[in-house]
Amino acid sequence: MTDCNYACRSPEHGISRRSLLAGLIGGSVGAGLVDSGLGHIAGLSHLIRPAVAGELAAQQKRVLVFFMAGGLSQLESWDPKPGTDTGGPFRAIPTSVPGVQISELLPYTAQQMHRLSLVRSVNTKEDDHGKGATFIETGRRDMPGQRFPTLGSAVSRLLAPAGAALPGYVHIQPGGAGVNKADAAFLGPKFASISIDNGKPPADLLRPDGLSLASDLARNDLRRKANQRFTSRRRTAETEAYAYSYDQALQLMERADVFDVTKEPAADQERYGSHDFGRHCLLARRLLEQGMTCVKVSHSNYDTHFENFDFHIEQLGEFDRPFATLIDDLAQRGMLDTTLVLVISEFGRTPNINPGLGRDHWGSAWSVAMAGCGIQKGAVIGKTNENGTAVADREVDGRHLFHTYLAALGLDPKGNYPNLNRPIPIGDPAGELIKELLV
Amino acid sequence: MIARPFARLIRLSPAPAALALLAFVCVWTDSSAAQEPSLAALIDQQVNSELAAKGITPAGPSSDAEFLRRIYLDLTGTIPTLGEAKAFLDDPSPIKRQQLIERLLNSREFARQMQRVFDVLLMERRPANRVPQAQWDDYLRLSFAANKPWDQLVREILAADGAEGALRPAARFYLDREGEPNVLTRDVGRLLLGRDMQCAQCHDHPLVDGYLQADYFGLFAFFNRGFVFTPKEQNQPVLYAEKAEGDVAFKSVFVAGATDQPTRPHLPGQKELEEPQYEKGQEYSVAPADGVRPVPKYSRRAQLATLLPRPETMAFKRNIANRLWALLMGRGLVQPLDMDHGGNLASHPDLLVLLAERFAVMKFDVKAFLREIALSQAYQRSSELPPGVESLPPESYAVAQLKPLSPEQLGLAVLQATGITDVHRVNLGPALNEQLLHERIAGSLGSLVNTFAGQAGQPEQDFQATLEQVLFVANGAVLRSWIAPQPGNLADRLNKLPEPPAVAEELYLSVLTRRPTPEEVADLTSYLQNRAQDRPIALQECIWALVASDELRFNH
Repeated sequence: MTDCNYACRSPEHGISRRSLLAGLIGGSVGAGLVDSGLGHIAGLSHLIRPAVAGELAAQQKRVLVFFMAGGLSQLESWDPKPGTDTGGPFRAIPTSVPGVQISELLPYTAQQMHRLSLVRSVNTKEDDHGKGATFIETGRRDMPGQRFPTLGSAVSRLLAPAGAALPGYVHIQPGGAGVNKADAAFLGPKFASISIDNGKPPADLLRPDGLSLASDLARNDLRRKANQRFTSRRRTAETEAYAYSYDQALQLMERADVFDVTKEPAADQERYGSHDFGRHCLLARRLLEQGMTCVKVSHSNYDTHFENFDFHIEQLGEFDRPFATLIDDLAQRGMLDTTLVLVISEFGRTPNINPGLGRDHWGSAWSVAMAGCGIQKGAVIGKTNENGTAVADREVDGRHLFHTYLAALGLDPKGNYPNLNRPIPIGDPAGELIKELLV
Repeated sequence: MIARPFARLIRLSPAPAALALLAFVCVWTDSSAAQEPSLAALIDQQVNSELAAKGITPAGPSSDAEFLRRIYLDLTGTIPTLGEAKAFLDDPSPIKRQQLIERLLNSREFARQMQRVFDVLLMERRPANRVPQAQWDDYLRLSFAANKPWDQLVREILAADGAEGALRPAARFYLDREGEPNVLTRDVGRLLLGRDMQCAQCHDHPLVDGYLQADYFGLFAFFNRGFVFTPKEQNQPVLYAEKAEGDVAFKSVFVAGATDQPTRPHLPGQKELEEPQYEKGQEYSVAPADGVRPVPKYSRRAQLATLLPRPETMAFKRNIANRLWALLMGRGLVQPLDMDHGGNLASHPDLLVLLAERFAVMKFDVKAFLREIALSQAYQRSSELPPGVESLPPESYAVAQLKPLSPEQLGLAVLQATGITDVHRVNLGPALNEQLLHERIAGSLGSLVNTFAGQAGQPEQDFQATLEQVLFVANGAVLRSWIAPQPGNLADRLNKLPEPPAVAEELYLSVLTRRPTPEEVADLTSYLQNRAQDRPIALQECIWALVASDELRFNH
């Protein structure tokens, strides 16, 4: 996350440890990609299951999360209030859904409205960055001593195909590197998000200089032979999992270019734009096509305590086109029906415009956008009052949204996580579905 | 274990502490051996009678090499050196296992391993923000070096406010949880009483009959008056402090219209404390004021420190007996370790009660308790299934469990296996001692431990192998630097051995703590014959393959 001079000074906006690490690790990742037909080498070919986009599109359910870091203004996006005391300078524009208007800052997105749905009545009552993110990403209010998995970790656990070479949950963000174990909570680090930056694969994915392909394959053959001997009378699920994780890593090493957005057609790179966010959207498409279960793309920074309007012009100006392009591409490729797309934030922003022309943190009446798998098309759920200072109809919070995401994916939000060593419900037991959002 | 009483009389060069213990054990053995079998024998009685009742034939005893690696990892956190391994395997003594157990229990490495184990147990890898990790580590290590009884250790931790110099590190349990009463309630319940009552925070546990909201808040009431006090003076350490007021009431979120139920502190399942009442203005011995840490006349924290860690608290005894059993046996009698309740019975209910009671009778002597488990047949069984048997239920203890190495064990084992620890030993020369060696290798461990450790503050998880971990082993610069030849490390030593059988012996003993089988010697011989042109590379492949193998990853 970049440091923004308009943002509040909460720790969430400092330079994260991970971005520092990224700088360090960046130097060591540069070895050439192995471009060999590894799959044909004896002993490995049976392990390689190339992703077939069409087949995956038809079956596998996936999640794409846009996290508008800092807190996207609902008034400058999904719930404009032009001409009111709180509305700010921007107009509302018609969309591809008759009668539904959104901010003029999102002209391309407006043309995808028939594929999106809006919830304009989110009241999370939470104005703190960390706690707001926890509520919206885990579906549970932040409570001391309790931590639940984020949606990405949950679906990585619940939806990712067993034995897949690709990790289940990748978080694309500028400077991203490393694993965020907190994401997965009690599900364990296997289901945590792996942070990546544009074009840089996870740390140590590339075979280092000085280790030849032949030597790597040879030592892995030796490893398999040693394992065979050891496990002939000691085989357990754990030894299987450990041994197999090396073979999965080898498969992924062969496919390291799934993280390389420059392998996408030049025309697509042009359509998505040459800035980070555009490339990140195209990378998200690439990863989803390759079978990634959850991709989260963070877009920074919407924490506009000062100059809210200028910064939303700038930020949404970057967001609008790649986002709309990605929605359109997923639909064109037949993937939208199996991919749940969310646009979420920690919270929205105050209707009140402060003396610095900023808007502050506001969890009381804001909006979330969704599309794709299991979600109605072109629906608008709930509403705020005339100048957006309160929810007027169909109030929902993080629990309801989380239940709805899960149900949209065909999962039972009231069920327990499978195979945990204690019974823990996936969704907050007090949460309820937003049924009218579901197909 | 017929030879046990005899074995106990013959110990080689025990440390003074062991001598004292030996005297005690001898007296105890002499006076009561006829009537009172050892705890190790009682363990085997119970486990074996259960096996007989179920018609399960257990695995045979572990080989010497299996036992050697297992006991080293369990008691010292690492694998033996090549020299130690050879010496043990070549020792013809019939009582060498007992001798080794005794030697390791009285080693400095044991105290440090207990420090690591109890650090993770008590702090669950939370960042050390309020008490430096090194001070906490020293506190734990010195406690185990002195064989401080478990009840005393827990009493010190629960009583600590951080104000007393020598015991300041003990306050880390409170301070690095920021004194947060819900966090403390959950963690004291889980870690010291074996009960994860998290779900009882908002309502009686929906799935566990015995986990009541009233018990959660009874425990909570010991902590809700506590807070982290920051002195005004700069550079003064933060302290844990307590107020004299603050009552607890709760209501279930499941019961519509429920009214608040007040509760005073109590341990789960016990009666609320009778508490002294002070007149308004008389509650404090140090009254709260700006910049002053208040000290109440009546401290609920002190009550907890008195009431919880004592033989009368059954959950306290069961929890630690179960956790120490799991440490050596690879799974708790109650599993998960923090789900001890009526709906999740122990695999051997009588054995758990026996262990709990006997541990209390031993005055919570951790070393003596671990000794008994380590001496049992159950602990010393092979991890290999008997021929013709496809599987054995893990909760039967019919076969030794494969235990994934902790991140620290894995790091230390790989450092020893690759000979990096040996290089440090040589470099230290005559100055070599456990502390200095630890300081030399501690820095090398960090990245591996971070990569393999789970999320801070979470209960123990089932084994997982993550992409990040595998890539660290497969391609990471740290591991490659350990495996690449440098003067005195394993690769360097292997490079200098011309004969493949000698290479195989050095390699397998160093990395896997056993001698190679003839088949493995033959395989290695032909592998090296085919790689005469790049033998050093081939040898690194062989080292890596064993380092990345299941046999290294698990304590078996």
